[in-house]
Amino acid sequence: MKVPALFLVLALGAGAARAGHDAIDVDRSMKRHAGQVTALGEPDGEGRIYSFRARRLPAAPDFVANELRGWRLTMLAGQRFAQAFEVQGNMGLEIVVGPLDGPLNGIAVNDVFVLEEIAIERAARQ
Amino acid sequence: MRLAWALALWSALAFGQARVPAEVVDAFHAALRNKDTAAALSLLDRGLLVFEFGAVDPTVEAYAFRHLPFDMDVAVATRWKLETRRVGGEGNDRSVLSTYRVTGTQSDGRPIDLTMLETVLLRRSGDAFRIVHFHWSTDDPAFLERARKQRSQEPAR
Repeated sequence: MKVPALFLVLALGAGAARAGHDAIDVDRSMKRHAGQVTALGEPDGEGRIYSFRARRLPAAPDFVANELRGWRLTMLAGQRFAQAFEVQGNMGLEIVVGPLDGPLNGIAVNDVFVLEEIAIERAARQ
Repeated sequence: MRLAWALALWSALAFGQARVPAEVVDAFHAALRNKDTAAALSLLDRGLLVFEFGAVDPTVEAYAFRHLPFDMDVAVATRWKLETRRVGGEGNDRSVLSTYRVTGTQSDGRPIDLTMLETVLLRRSGDAFRIVHFHWSTDDPAFLERARKQRSQEPAR
């Protein structure tokens, strides 16, 4: 578990961290936002979780309702690292994913994720 | 001979044979180019350490959060032509050392034309090789200077 190092990264703030290929100044390939899980949603009758609350990284205003509908959510840490889900909708910082990619079970508070304005190509990973 | 090679390739694809280390590296670049974050992350070992133009990402999570998005943007905006490659190692630990000619255009219209040097170390985990270390550098002093300045000044996107 590498949470302390990740916390250090977040505590330092992304402003102190920029370098790399990004020294080449290119246009963004898509809109994206990062965030961190702050609370898990209520499980359904079979224990499946499809929602969570989040905070934005770096801090920013809450999302507009359903602004993220159809966006791709990819977990960047934790047990579900590298798993992608399609956002079904959002109310501010409460994010709900659709059932096609399975439930979110396994994500945990403090897990970091990225939201990207792009569809999931499920067939490519089957 | 060609038929035998084609059959071997087909059987590897058809039966899901694990990629060899150089294919893992190429798949990582392809995932960035295809804007497939999950596919790129799936090729990284959870113990990943990245050295990138003087910056260090000490964990896979740090790299995923801080630099992978930028690397994806660059991959989409540029063309990476493999110029040289040397593979090495044995058993579960392998290396893939590559140079690429990277060309493209920056946001302000300035051309990108540099040589990218890439060291990748991989470790077998189960039946698949995953990347445990990246080290990127370049021969372009102007690029290195920009990287140094951005590391200390600019906010993340």
